[in-house]
Amino acid sequence: MKKLLRPSVVTFAFLVPLSLALAACQKAAEAPAPQAAVAPAPAAAPAEPAAPAALEKTGKLNIFIWSAYLPKEVIDEFTAKTGIKVSFDLYDSNEALLEKLQSGVADYDIVVPSDYMVKILASQKLIQSIDHARLPNFSNLDPRFLNKKFDPNNEHSLPYFWGTTGFGYNKSKIKEPVDSWQVMFDPKHKGRILMLDDMRENFAVALKSMGKSLNDTDPADLKAASELLKKQKKLVKTYNSGDFANILASGDVDFAHGYNGQIAEVVRNSKGKLAYVVPKEGATFWMDNMAIPVKARNLEAAYEFLNFIMQPEVNAEIVNGVSYASANTPAKKFINPEILNDAAIYPGDDVIARCEFLEDIGDTTTVLDQYWTEIKAQ
Amino acid sequence: MSGPVDTRPPAPMVVERRFAWERFLLGTHSTFVYLFLYLPIVILVVFSFNESKQTAVWEGFTLEWYRHLMHNDLILRSVKNSLIVASITTVVATIIGTMVALALGRYEFRGKASVASVLYLPIIIPEIVIGAALVTFFGVVQLRLSLWTVVVAHVAFSISYVAIVVRARLAGFDRSLEEAALDLGAGPWATLWRVTLPLIGPGILAGALLVFTISIDDYVVTSFVAGVGATTLPLQIYSMLKVGVTPEVNAVSTLLILVTVVLIVLAQRLQQDPNQPGGGQ
Repeated sequence: MKKLLRPSVVTFAFLVPLSLALAACQKAAEAPAPQAAVAPAPAAAPAEPAAPAALEKTGKLNIFIWSAYLPKEVIDEFTAKTGIKVSFDLYDSNEALLEKLQSGVADYDIVVPSDYMVKILASQKLIQSIDHARLPNFSNLDPRFLNKKFDPNNEHSLPYFWGTTGFGYNKSKIKEPVDSWQVMFDPKHKGRILMLDDMRENFAVALKSMGKSLNDTDPADLKAASELLKKQKKLVKTYNSGDFANILASGDVDFAHGYNGQIAEVVRNSKGKLAYVVPKEGATFWMDNMAIPVKARNLEAAYEFLNFIMQPEVNAEIVNGVSYASANTPAKKFINPEILNDAAIYPGDDVIARCEFLEDIGDTTTVLDQYWTEIKAQ
Repeated sequence: MSGPVDTRPPAPMVVERRFAWERFLLGTHSTFVYLFLYLPIVILVVFSFNESKQTAVWEGFTLEWYRHLMHNDLILRSVKNSLIVASITTVVATIIGTMVALALGRYEFRGKASVASVLYLPIIIPEIVIGAALVTFFGVVQLRLSLWTVVVAHVAFSISYVAIVVRARLAGFDRSLEEAALDLGAGPWATLWRVTLPLIGPGILAGALLVFTISIDDYVVTSFVAGVGATTLPLQIYSMLKVGVTPEVNAVSTLLILVTVVLIVLAQRLQQDPNQPGGGQ
């Protein structure tokens, strides 16, 4: 604790005046705006701290989103149609998003948390309840992706994209049919396997290959799963979460554990050499969702935007632009058949049925942490 | 100044008769060291001209990615953000850091020892702790996160680097030169501008360059304190990892390396002049 406080002395000595000055400037700059927008009255008293900013019709919409999740054309259309300017920033993990919202001083109107993070954000009261009455296009959403355990009745979130975590493999080198996680544990493929550098996803593979739920918390099962992963490590060429699809495409490995989106892309460009598999034992299912932070300043614009991207044509344009599966039923009419018929992007119901969400497993995470450290350290 | 060099005995003749294999070993060793250091960069530069979208398969030469880059508003915006932050940080942190170094270097005041040791803390403390502390602080003073909070954060941890580098330069500083200037009728300002600053100039410049490079590639602290419209290049690149790094990133890195090399060459040129012991012009 002491160590934490000490830097304050020097750092803050410089920071406090600078920050206060900045904060003052901001307030000065902010104050006149809502006044002008709300009332053309004689500008007398200094404005109240910009009361319910919700009533601003135009203005700016700040989106905090994953990279390559929203084509620029769609944003331009939205601005042209509504006059609302859009600014968007990118994050690389759900935890980065959590940290940003926890700060209490991040001005985002729309965020895109994954399934489990929706639950965490909602329980910490960082995202607000969504008023479905204000979203006529809500009815376009596919019921298969609604009312999930992480957000009952979609009180806090709307499904945006969804997908699976399976593996890609090199069809030109592996002749036998591949439909099971077992290949990833087969000593025959020693040094030709890539796994995601992600604890939960690795345990999901081990547990699924044992025929268990990937949210299993039974200590004996977890121990067995960790033994499997320990043994597997000798076969694994590398653990990589960023570049797995490219490593597969370059031929450095024959099997690459990974998210469907990136693998689907290299599969499409591989001229039939590569393929994506959701193993028969099942795999991880993920969903990224639109949500509105509690501290959103431009609520009106946020709803306007959510409605806009749920329009079938607009939603299809998004899917065509970024090649992820959306949860919008009427949009399918406008989605490129090449994407819609790609089983790696839009798998059938049978595939979805054997997949599971990663759920918050509470204290068991600590147990996994310990096993994972042992695996990585051995 | 160059005393120690002159007093050294002339190089022994043994050097001349060094065995060929010794040279060979030294040469090989250096080659490997340089390869180790620069090969990844060379590969990155080469692959920025790669026709294939996959970063690891070579398919032919193209300038396509540079053309793409020119039309990628997101990357361009992030480069612009990074340059803004790094430039402002460099100027502000260099000024404050130099002032700190001067104060520590020549005055005695109460608490000097603790200020001097606290100076090292921002360097020793894990970045993630600084990031978390800063964002809490911004929350307390209700400063909305933006590009400016990034600047404030960068300045905060950069001051130490400048102060330490400049202090090192001041350690070998001959104060009698300043006394002479004052004695010969120069005012305190004239002395500062024409005697002190030129003499510690290389230290200041080195500190400034250090700060610029630290600021432009900082990820951890920035990811904590960046707000609306403040996605910097490192944040942009990390966020792109989720969908795979494209050769556009190689292209933008190549351009950044180019800028850095130019800056360093420039800095070295500049550094040579004030080193000439020429007294007051």
